[in-house]
Amino acid sequence: MYIIKNALKCIGRSKGRNILIGVIVFVIALSACLGLSIRQAAESAREETLKDLKITANISFDRNAMMSEIGAQREEGQKFDREQFSEKMGKMSGLTLEEYKKYATAETVKDFYYTVTTSLNGSDGFSSVTTETGENESTANNSAAPEMPAETRGNKGVGGFGRGGIGGGMQGDFSVIGYSGENAMTTFLEGTATINKGSVFSEGTENYDCIIPSELAEFNSLSVGDSVKITNPNKEDEAYTLKIVGIYTDSSANESGTGFMGMTASDPANQIYMSYNALSKIIAASEKNATTESNETTGRESSTKLNGQLNAAYVFSNVEDYEQFANDVIEMGLNENYTVSSSDIEAFENSLIPLNTLSRLAGYFLIVILLIGAIILIVLNIFNVRERKYEIGVLTAMGMKKFKVALQFLTEIFVITLAAVILGAGIGAVVSVPVTNALLENQVAAQSDRSERIEQGFGRGQKPDSAKTEMQSPPEDGSFNPFGAFMGTNNQNAYVTEISSAMNFTVLLQMLLIGILLTLIAGAVSMLFIMRYEPLKILANRD
Amino acid sequence: MAILKLDNICFSYGETEVLKDISFEFESGKMYCITGKSGAGKTTLLSVLSGLAKPTSGDILYDNKNIKKIDRYRFRSKYIGVIFQSYNLITKFTALENVVLSMEIAGVKGIKKKKKALELLQSVELDEKEANRRVLHLSGGQQQRVAIARALSYDPEIILADEPTGNLDGETQNEIMNIFKALAEKGKCVILVSHSPSIANCCDVNYELKKINA
Repeated sequence: MYIIKNALKCIGRSKGRNILIGVIVFVIALSACLGLSIRQAAESAREETLKDLKITANISFDRNAMMSEIGAQREEGQKFDREQFSEKMGKMSGLTLEEYKKYATAETVKDFYYTVTTSLNGSDGFSSVTTETGENESTANNSAAPEMPAETRGNKGVGGFGRGGIGGGMQGDFSVIGYSGENAMTTFLEGTATINKGSVFSEGTENYDCIIPSELAEFNSLSVGDSVKITNPNKEDEAYTLKIVGIYTDSSANESGTGFMGMTASDPANQIYMSYNALSKIIAASEKNATTESNETTGRESSTKLNGQLNAAYVFSNVEDYEQFANDVIEMGLNENYTVSSSDIEAFENSLIPLNTLSRLAGYFLIVILLIGAIILIVLNIFNVRERKYEIGVLTAMGMKKFKVALQFLTEIFVITLAAVILGAGIGAVVSVPVTNALLENQVAAQSDRSERIEQGFGRGQKPDSAKTEMQSPPEDGSFNPFGAFMGTNNQNAYVTEISSAMNFTVLLQMLLIGILLTLIAGAVSMLFIMRYEPLKILANRD
Repeated sequence: MAILKLDNICFSYGETEVLKDISFEFESGKMYCITGKSGAGKTTLLSVLSGLAKPTSGDILYDNKNIKKIDRYRFRSKYIGVIFQSYNLITKFTALENVVLSMEIAGVKGIKKKKKALELLQSVELDEKEANRRVLHLSGGQQQRVAIARALSYDPEIILADEPTGNLDGETQNEIMNIFKALAEKGKCVILVSHSPSIANCCDVNYELKKINA
């Protein structure tokens, strides 16, 4: 007990030296606290986001696997067998809705929805919003190249197939998308798209009700209640009349408005939404009335039927469920040529890049700080012990055992270190969040610049500033738009830009351990010196 | 009966012999003076007596027990009180704290240490104000008194003092010597190390150390 009392007395009687030690330990503690907090924040952000991350996955054809398989079969010096590849691809048909539904019965699936997309032309003055000028202007009859509907781009593999088996056909001016239900209309659920006039079509309706973008309505002077005529681009006399029940605005569409040169149907301004059942009815009618022609030169058959591209999405509560689903579908009979994939996982990993980078740097910083801190403390303690050599001599001459003297010195260092660590941790707790966020902001900016440079280097991603800012903020509910991933690569820039808390019990415990470790390191050196001292020599030299 | 007995004590610093075959006996209630010229080994003998230095050969018996069998720290902190020539006080502590600390190291229990320390300091003529002053702010004579009070704090049987009046003026010397006399009268064995004849005259027994090879 008297050792502690003595230690406290000595701390009070040597203020200058102890304040110096305290300040140094405080700086070490504060730096360590920041480093640990950043690491903890990164870990927490990962855990929290993963916990709440709503993952949307698709089953898609694994083209890479097929190419690898064909590539593996060729002998050395032999070229890639394109014919075999085309043949295999031709045989592949997309999963049917029934198959998609079968896999949706897996226990891990939280939600399931699907869409069908087809391409149609306008008729009777109903024309698409075009971004082209002059002779290249897109019209119903001159856009020949078949394009994948916008929502399929970015999907792994071949995101869906036209049902039927005979390919080909003309690309229309409009993308018409049929939704299975409101849960499939993610842009509306996330709030980027809103109905301005009228209302959305009834869920599951077979009526030809549709909603159109405000730009398209403006372009064609249309309003709610009007009807528009659309035709099969492969068969102009096959027409359908849609009734406009709502007009919507999609803010995310404006952000990418400059990127659709030459792809009229892909322009969000030319996307017409309706119910899955209604669009399926159109596709079915088209199939029923289809005629087949054979190309004399190639011998390939082409049909006038509308190609409907089916997309299905499975929603999971967490990563574990998603991973389990990938195994479950194989057990349920999914062909090996198909794969389960989710862009959300990649987007999630990308979102953590700046925070993880910061965390890694914080780790290095922590090691350096602790090393330097330990060295400084050791040196200071050596000076301390040497300066108090006489005191040690007197105490041992009085009969105080050396280990007790060392214990007193250790107590002194421990008390100073503990006080400085508590102060450092306290201030660290207050400043860790703003400091981490400030550092994170720099990291995000650096990462964004890097990504942007890469995109620009490849001639992509010339986006307005407002778009960039918005893309850096993840959705509030921690989810990633499944179709957002289909629509482009913007989600790659959705970084975690802010942390709400960094300090927790783990960090406090780590701080305490650091304090004890520093005390022990510094104390061990003191102890070594004290044990070597002989009181007689010290006092004789003093005399 | 001797409380402390030196039996053929020899001590050397490396090759240099300082003490050779020293056999002295010390009894309670008497004042002893160890005299000798400079370099005769007086302070070395005091170090050996106090357990700070181990003799090269020979035995030291405390109350007929060889101090080799007693823990040296325990011997220093409980059985013998040493007053060093340069006092060797903890300078950052007050006089009172120095005395209390000595009691705590000795493991004194069952008394109010602060009160006892104050009484001891008063017995060597230091008042409360002086007792609460840091020793650095006390005069040489006052520091000598603090060192005496500290040596008495755990009530040892033997008091060892190295040149106890060496740094003091005549009047203070007398006062200090009176304190030692009073201690001897109370039954303590007081051993003084000095080259001063006046001190030697005050003591009951004188032992003279002779310089080896002199």
